[in-house]
Amino acid sequence: MYDRIDLRLTSFAQRLSDAEGDAVQRTQRSSRSALVVAAYPKLANRAWLARPDRVLWGIYDGGFPDSFAGLSNTESRLHYSFPIVSIYQAWGDRPDEAHFPSRLAQTIDRLGSVPMVTWEPWVKDFDEARRPNLPPANEREYASLAAIARGDYDFYVTAWAAEAAKFGRPLFLRFAHEMNDPYRYPWGPQNGNRPDDFIAAWRHVHLIFQKMNATNVLWVWSPHISMPWFEYYYPGDEWVDWTGTGVLNYANVASWSRWWTFHQILEKGYPALAKLGKPVMVTEFGTLTEGGDARQWYADAFRDLGDKYRAVRAVVFFNQPHDSTLLTQEPLDWSMLQDPGATLVVRERLSHR
Amino acid sequence: MRMRSARAWLDASEVFRHRRARPVARWERWLLGVLLFLGAQSVVLFALWWFRRERVGNPVLFALLSIATWYGISRIVIGWYNAFHIEQPPLRDATPGHSVAIFITSSPGEPYAMFERTLAAAAEVRYPHTTYLLDDTRDPRIAALAAQMHAVHLELIGIPGAKAGKINAALRLTTEELILVLDPDHVPFPEFLDRVVGYFDDAGVGFVQVAQAYYNAPRSFVARAAAEQTFAFYGPILQGMHGTGTAVAIGANCTFRRTALESIGGHGIGLAEDLVTAIRLHAAGWKSVYVPEVVARGLVPEDLDSYLRQQLKWARGVYEVLLREYPRAFRRLTMHQRIAYLMVGTYYLVGLTTPIYLLIPLLYLLTGLQPATMFLADYLLRAFPVGLFGVLIYRFVQRWLCDPVRERGWHWRGMLLKIGCWSVYLKGLLFAIGNVAVPYIPTSKERRTGNFRQLAAVPLSVVVLSVAVVLWAFAHRLFSMPEAEVRMTTEASVAMSAFALFNALLMSGRLYAAWKDSDRNRQDRGGDISSPSSPSAG
Repeated sequence: MYDRIDLRLTSFAQRLSDAEGDAVQRTQRSSRSALVVAAYPKLANRAWLARPDRVLWGIYDGGFPDSFAGLSNTESRLHYSFPIVSIYQAWGDRPDEAHFPSRLAQTIDRLGSVPMVTWEPWVKDFDEARRPNLPPANEREYASLAAIARGDYDFYVTAWAAEAAKFGRPLFLRFAHEMNDPYRYPWGPQNGNRPDDFIAAWRHVHLIFQKMNATNVLWVWSPHISMPWFEYYYPGDEWVDWTGTGVLNYANVASWSRWWTFHQILEKGYPALAKLGKPVMVTEFGTLTEGGDARQWYADAFRDLGDKYRAVRAVVFFNQPHDSTLLTQEPLDWSMLQDPGATLVVRERLSHR
Repeated sequence: MRMRSARAWLDASEVFRHRRARPVARWERWLLGVLLFLGAQSVVLFALWWFRRERVGNPVLFALLSIATWYGISRIVIGWYNAFHIEQPPLRDATPGHSVAIFITSSPGEPYAMFERTLAAAAEVRYPHTTYLLDDTRDPRIAALAAQMHAVHLELIGIPGAKAGKINAALRLTTEELILVLDPDHVPFPEFLDRVVGYFDDAGVGFVQVAQAYYNAPRSFVARAAAEQTFAFYGPILQGMHGTGTAVAIGANCTFRRTALESIGGHGIGLAEDLVTAIRLHAAGWKSVYVPEVVARGLVPEDLDSYLRQQLKWARGVYEVLLREYPRAFRRLTMHQRIAYLMVGTYYLVGLTTPIYLLIPLLYLLTGLQPATMFLADYLLRAFPVGLFGVLIYRFVQRWLCDPVRERGWHWRGMLLKIGCWSVYLKGLLFAIGNVAVPYIPTSKERRTGNFRQLAAVPLSVVVLSVAVVLWAFAHRLFSMPEAEVRMTTEASVAMSAFALFNALLMSGRLYAAWKDSDRNRQDRGGDISSPSSPSAG
């Protein structure tokens, strides 16, 4: 009953929000969705999104999911409205994990953009008390992909897929990204997850979405291409709409990193990625500013995108000023606005159609 | 409902009649137990939902909101615990042979007619006693009145310590075993002492408190509200405190054993002298009895100005007990008494929590700072069971009010006025901390008019500020906030605006009272209610 009342109230809140947003369009005589549609008239078309004839730009903002102020600020500085807005969601029972992020997705949709959800199977986040059929939380991460493929988490995937279907609009889904990196996420190979397990899990989840009529979803397969053998994780052409990878220049913050250009990061893995024949997305794009010239980094990247990496059809800026995933002393600042020169270069590139 | 309660106050023979709270039936205790269990469960669930890391927005604001919210809920829960212990002292006939004094104090400026009524009624009290008038009015008419009413006139001029000082002076001049301290505006019924004296057969009993009730409650909004604030206290609450051995001497009409008072060096002095005396007596090991019976009726303040003065005096006095007496007595109190005096001592903290509630929505609308990341819908759903059981239990325990016909109800006037007076309670707290003196003036017994701007300044500023901020925020969103941010925050901003306007609405009780009192022509007329001039008419 709680869920039903909650659903009612939530849809009421959405109607309120739509009414207020429409009123703002009238009073401010501008509409973000009109701007996006003017630049990308076919953005709402899933078939077009699977094979776009133009490069799509996207952005993730560190203020998500609480605030869109950072996004608005960045967009007004860049005089641009991004057609893709990227958000992250972990699996689990916490309130911010338990459901398809419909509030965020609908807001992004009303703003005229397509949401991309990076969907992270943090299986230990499911409540032990509520999930007696699951093993204890600390035992779940070993071979979690096989467990997903076996259907242990269907209760979650099915409900989420149903909500995604109800959302109804096109949506990029980037499930279990960087699955081949043994240093990053619990669904990596260090936890006994073999490539076959990943492929089985991916296909299992994909099938559930099909069964729930969530065909509005575009599947983004996103390995870490600096690691060898990533191709072995590819689930197959009929299971994937886009391929993707992050291109972040960590500069001098870690022992394993130094100032690399966009090209240096991408060149080794790119041919194998492009050979798969799917549109390629740079799912996380950005550079730190210490130890190099950020303006030059972006300028080189845009030049190389234009002539070396023609398969890249979408680039998503990682605009996170407080990134603490590396557990460095200070959170990392990926924001391109911190460097005026970089801001200019990015604005200049985005102004070209 | 309205008719019934209005009529209930009209008939003097009904109002001035001895009343006793209904006994507690076994099934009622069981049902209460079930309600309390379910209520406790709802609080636990709400707490589990509330205290989660992902709930925290701005940490400072979250801490403040948590303090305000859980202060309120903890009072409800302790109230439930108290309700579980409701106990009534067994009926006990007055044993003959106790010598009893009734002390009535008078101060300059108090109306002659009031003493006439009270002294006449005191003379009618059946159990053998001597009435003393502790007088510093220097008014020969009052002295003559005492003689006429067979009261002993004690001229006690220039004694420090206000009322309590006079009581202590009178103690030295008298010898009676038991002393009833009667407020001069309270008209005792003939059976008063018969209902009280028997409990002193137990040599460990130090004082016996009876219910405090009023006869002028329907005379104005303020009187009604002030009376409503006391109904539950003199009903189920003090009966629960009796059950845990924590019944306090409070308000008026407490009967003390002389040796008990002497063991603590006399009646306590201070703005909350009754409470000071009670905590010292409890610390000295004396037992207390609460008799849930109406055996006298007196006056509540009828105008806002008198009410505010009284509330400031009480708040200041109660904090004084909390800050100075409570730590001293702590070690010698029982666990229940420690909790009880802490609860009484923190009653006026609404003066601190209300401004938090007032501030949070305004701060959000102005700056976007959010105390917690919770959606309104979710919050309402989670808080609803706590509120539901709060209301159910509040209404259920009303069956043990002393005079349910006149006292039962939602008591919304009392709650509104209490919230509206938050600034007075805050002032009381600041005065107590800063040790600023508040003069001890007996609460006014007559209706006065006041200056609207002075009486309404605080609630009116809250209303104006809230409405202005809500309007500004709406205009700001419409005209200058980026569309993306607007679409993302509609729910929060609607919720916070509603919260702010609701807060403005909560000030309406005090505003209404101030408006009524600012013009004599607007004040309710009091001629048509029962008057104590015919207390034995029925």
